[in-house]
Amino acid sequence: MPSHPLRVAVVCSSNQNRSMEAHNILSKRGFDVRSFGTGTHVKLPGPAPDKPNVYDFKTTYEQMYNDLVRKDKELYTQNGILHMLDRNKRIKPRPERFQNCKDQFDLVITCEERVYDQVLEDLNSREQETFQPVHVINVDIQDNHEEATLGAFLICELCQCIQHTDDMENEIDELLQEFEDKSSRPFLHTVCFY
Amino acid sequence: SGEEESAADMTTSEKVVELLNQAALISTESKLTVLKQVQELIINKDPSLLDNFLDEIIAFQTDKSMEVRKLVIGFIEEACKRDNELLPKLIANLNMLLKDESVNVVKKAILTLTQLYKVALQWLVRSKSVSDMQEACWDMVTQMKEDVLALLDSDNDGVRTHAIKFTETLIITLSPRTPDSDVPKKQEGDISLDKIPRDHSYIRYDALCEEGRSALEQLLKFMVHPAISSINLTAALGSLATLARQRPMFMSEVVQAYETLHANLPPTLAKSQVSSVRKNLKLHLVSVLRHPSSLEFQGQISTLLLDLGMTQNDIARLTPAPREPRKRPR
Repeated sequence: MPSHPLRVAVVCSSNQNRSMEAHNILSKRGFDVRSFGTGTHVKLPGPAPDKPNVYDFKTTYEQMYNDLVRKDKELYTQNGILHMLDRNKRIKPRPERFQNCKDQFDLVITCEERVYDQVLEDLNSREQETFQPVHVINVDIQDNHEEATLGAFLICELCQCIQHTDDMENEIDELLQEFEDKSSRPFLHTVCFY
Repeated sequence: SGEEESAADMTTSEKVVELLNQAALISTESKLTVLKQVQELIINKDPSLLDNFLDEIIAFQTDKSMEVRKLVIGFIEEACKRDNELLPKLIANLNMLLKDESVNVVKKAILTLTQLYKVALQWLVRSKSVSDMQEACWDMVTQMKEDVLALLDSDNDGVRTHAIKFTETLIITLSPRTPDSDVPKKQEGDISLDKIPRDHSYIRYDALCEEGRSALEQLLKFMVHPAISSINLTAALGSLATLARQRPMFMSEVVQAYETLHANLPPTLAKSQVSSVRKNLKLHLVSVLRHPSSLEFQGQISTLLLDLGMTQNDIARLTPAPREPRKRPR
């Protein structure tokens, strides 16, 4: 087992549902975890599919909560958005954008292929300096509450297995194959360098 | 508190002595914290102390904790960058750590050699007359370079990944920077073959040029190994793209390697690994295509990108116009 805890980042589009669900579980299990979104804005469902609530990454979860309470408390209680924002603000003040974070991770887990592509594009566009590797793995998770919960458990199990390998880089390929078979989901996996 | 006040009165040197005394007696975790403090004090705060306390810190290279040994490697890197004259002494310590029993220590030593190879070469080139000590130091660096290249064949996948990145940097150092080279900002001051004088008293331009060529051949050979892991294939694809952009003189070899790989993906890859590799290939082909020197290879690259699912329009949008004045990359 590596002597330092894995530094994990979980990334979805808006850093609200999927990445925060996983952030919550992983931090409860003692991981050194952070979460991010890759979108240009933070989007939350609105009164109609074509009317999302759009915020920038500077807005706190608390401000979004208050904004939605003011707009339609009943609707956003019913669809679970207020509950989610309330959970989120207990984890950290505001969503964070992956592209703006210069901290290094051992493992970055993305929640959909488009987000994986954006993470790879960002990591590959940075100037390499230390050549410290970072493994990026995509686990497809649909963006709803139920799937986010299931996905978070899967991510957590995956991180626990990786954390418990004697030599992560030597075993990760095989481990991911086993996980694919077990969960019947394909994972995309690559390595980038800082 | 009173304790803090007396700590403030201590000289940096006294503080270092106290920290080192503590470090000898405490658990690994606190030892790491204490040694990091020592490193900060003698490398950044008061480098005049570096020489004094060198041996005390290096003594931890035999510590039973690999994290402590890795810290010693980080210290060697910082110390040599700060004071090149420490290279002859510390390179031997790095050489020992490169042969450590823990792969994590070996990997860290490879990362550090990746940095110090350039530092050592620059140091020798800068010296007007080269001492016996410097010659011995360069000979050892050259031997270590061979050892790391040989690690492309290591049994350990992660060690191989690190050896790939070393090879990438080595090829860039041992080939000339040309006007069409992309130069990352942080590497602007780095040495490369074009800065090696042809009449240097010890460093042989032709020999280095040959070593660079040979490293490229080894990387290309590594890539076509039928049992290569998907992760190492991915790492090598990225290294080739970096080479093509920073040394466009190798673009032909790189594009050819991409073509060969696309036509013969290793049979050992699982289905999802094939998707990951193809996605990476696409990403790196695009970054090569965007380079102004891709002109000659645009046909080959477009064919590959079409095969990988990109549309003709997207490819056209990413292709630089032939006579467009050269822009600075990103």
